[in-house]
Amino acid sequence: MQQQHLRPALLRATAAISALVLAGCTSSPAETATNDEPKTGGTLVYASGDAEPTCLDPHVGGNYPQALLATQVLESLVSRDSEGTIIPWLATGWEVADDGLSVTFTLRDDVTFTDGTPFDAEAVKANIEHVKDPATGSSTGYLAMGKVDSVEAVDATTAKFNLSAPDSALLESLSQTWVAIESPAGLERGTDANCEAPIGTGPFVITDWVKQDSVTLERNDDYVSPPADAGHDGAAYLDAITWRFIPDSASRYAALQAGEVDVIDNAQPDTLVAAEGEDGLSELDAPRPGSSNRIELNSGKAPFDDVAVREAFIRSAQVDEGIESLFFGTADRSYSPLASVESAAYSDPSLFEYDLDAANELLDDAGWTERDSDGYRVKDGERLTVAFPVSTNQSIPAEQSLFEQIQATTKEAGFAVELSPLDLSSWYGALAANEYDAVSAPYTKVGPDVLRILYDSAGITPAPSGYFANHSQVSIPELDALLDQANATTDEAERTDLYAQAQAIVLEGFYILPLYDQQNHYLLRDSVVGLRAMPTVSTPTFYDAWLDE
Amino acid sequence: MSALEVEAVADRLATHRSAGPRHRFGFGEILAALFLLFVLVAAIAPALLSPTDPLAIDPGDAFSPPSLAQIFGTDESGRNIYSRVVHGAASSLVIGVSATVIGLGLGVLLGVVAGLGGRVVDFGVNRLLEVLFALPGLLLALFLIVVIGPGVVTTTLAVGISTAPGYARIIRAQLIAVRSSAYVEAATVQGRGRWWILRRHLLPNTLAPLLALGTLGVGQAIVWASALSFLGLGAVPPSPEWGAMLAAGRTYLSSAWWMSVFPGLFIVLTAVCATVLGRGVQRRTRQR
Repeated sequence: MQQQHLRPALLRATAAISALVLAGCTSSPAETATNDEPKTGGTLVYASGDAEPTCLDPHVGGNYPQALLATQVLESLVSRDSEGTIIPWLATGWEVADDGLSVTFTLRDDVTFTDGTPFDAEAVKANIEHVKDPATGSSTGYLAMGKVDSVEAVDATTAKFNLSAPDSALLESLSQTWVAIESPAGLERGTDANCEAPIGTGPFVITDWVKQDSVTLERNDDYVSPPADAGHDGAAYLDAITWRFIPDSASRYAALQAGEVDVIDNAQPDTLVAAEGEDGLSELDAPRPGSSNRIELNSGKAPFDDVAVREAFIRSAQVDEGIESLFFGTADRSYSPLASVESAAYSDPSLFEYDLDAANELLDDAGWTERDSDGYRVKDGERLTVAFPVSTNQSIPAEQSLFEQIQATTKEAGFAVELSPLDLSSWYGALAANEYDAVSAPYTKVGPDVLRILYDSAGITPAPSGYFANHSQVSIPELDALLDQANATTDEAERTDLYAQAQAIVLEGFYILPLYDQQNHYLLRDSVVGLRAMPTVSTPTFYDAWLDE
Repeated sequence: MSALEVEAVADRLATHRSAGPRHRFGFGEILAALFLLFVLVAAIAPALLSPTDPLAIDPGDAFSPPSLAQIFGTDESGRNIYSRVVHGAASSLVIGVSATVIGLGLGVLLGVVAGLGGRVVDFGVNRLLEVLFALPGLLLALFLIVVIGPGVVTTTLAVGISTAPGYARIIRAQLIAVRSSAYVEAATVQGRGRWWILRRHLLPNTLAPLLALGTLGVGQAIVWASALSFLGLGAVPPSPEWGAMLAAGRTYLSSAWWMSVFPGLFIVLTAVCATVLGRGVQRRTRQR
């Protein structure tokens, strides 16, 4: 009986809700088009698909999830505009000494950290020392500051960087969040406290971190120091940001559709295609700088210490069709060690043409003549095994499927690729123990200097964090010399030419199989206005963003 | 199997001794048997049911919906899902059956030791079981996998070990119930030796329900093994394992439902059918 009474009421409610929803759908695009005046206030909800960092201080370790969050809180000495030119930020100017062995920065004198500590040359010195201190366990920042010997605080607004050798990439390196400037008083609290809530000069402040759930960021009302290319002055528009972690791609997109969250990162290819047909959503595509996504072949041990075996692997891997179908046209094939956003990127597609016959011939000549009952090649009783640890935190499902396809196609040439999906710490463990023959670990860095980090023989030695970046274990004196020279020269054309030569050596030595650019797609609700990606490492900045609701 | 469920099963096993009406095979049981027969054939001779290579990729034909040529459609690499489901039966079934055998074996061992070993041993085994019960079974399995490393063998071991405490409890309760029964007392009074009683009365009456328990357990173990593979801790790519296929399909749930629905359906149906048959066996063994 009761049900019958309820039903008409329920119907009316449903009708009213649908009407509201419909009204919302039709009016929102018009609103965003007409309303240009930014509104202050509101809490934006961001959902990250990246693994939740264990430490929010990007000096420690230094990965992309840390940079995403730290971009809202910390600031760097310099930034980069969308043209690729280095622009002032916390430093108003800089001068490179004639011998290239020192760079002197002039700093802003009106900036204060959110804990009240003044920003000055001593703070810069303390930060670079923090990054270079082995106890900090930095890898990205540590490698980027490799040529900085010391920092001198000449006076409050003058910081002089003394270099062990000229470093044409120093400004690019300093523009990254991984060497952002934190409050020296904050650093002194010790690693644990600083990991919980690093203190910077940025537009937002970390006020709470509920592990496995979310980080709360609140507006810094006293903010004065936006980078030179920002859209406005003064404090941010948003009151707060709730920074959630939703690792599952489908749940993340569902939360966005439901309006539970306003912005998501790591939008997957199938999600992007689905979002295209959806009203009220838009996309921000911000390809990351640095390396391309590629499979690195470990030339430090058998079987890939033989260039013929490396070439055979690359020739027998079929990649193009897989990228097309798995990424639904959202990613292009790469033939370069560098991301295509880097102007110095050098490509050579001819080296990566699929050719099974050539692969078989190469393997025959290399002595892998026999095949076992499963069709895998054997030499001296050893199977031609390729151990391929895959980090399930860093590799998206589409990419893992691509690896399975490469596993299937290289099998025809007789390779036994053993894919092992691992969590992040086991994956680092496998790399540290040299228990891998192939691995995919894209590296994000501003500028072509990433080549030095990835392919200089010095990169085989681990950074203090235990991470080493030269996974291909390339050790060629000629290449080292080229990279050093490129790093030392200030002549832009010469630099590009040297980097092209270096890339040619890496490609022609078949150390890597380039796949596609590092994808970095954000989806946002139309109510979010003014969101842009930093032209440095393509992390989103919410300083200019506001909610039109 | 949670502690409560175990108690319930144990209760039923201990109390239900009266002869019920004779059961004939129900319609459901026949369907269940037919489905399990299909899965069994798929596990033993998959090529009979699907000649297509489950690992053969065809990126150009990825994400094809179910059609006459590919009745379950294709996955993200253009592999035939029907063929993968059929070829995946072996690993799911082998894991399910071996895990149950391991679980039952350990359970019987612990249960018999506890039930016969005297007060001190019983106390020790019981405390051990309580510690194991404190952790949900799946958590225990996850823990074991983290320690030993993922893979099919580990998954089997982990699921087996995690289900053992439940079986041990049931066996122990059953053994104690039988030991205090009138006919055992009568045998003792008659002056029969301990081994004679153990052989003639205790073991047969304690272990008789094992077949039913085992059949019920296989369904449970398959679900657990699939759950572990779903979490990426079981089968390693590209092997066609139902749980792993379900996990791979989850990414494309909104655009390619067939990638997860069919492996999911097979997990559910196998578990349900094994349970239906298990129940049937249980009813029949009790009548004797």
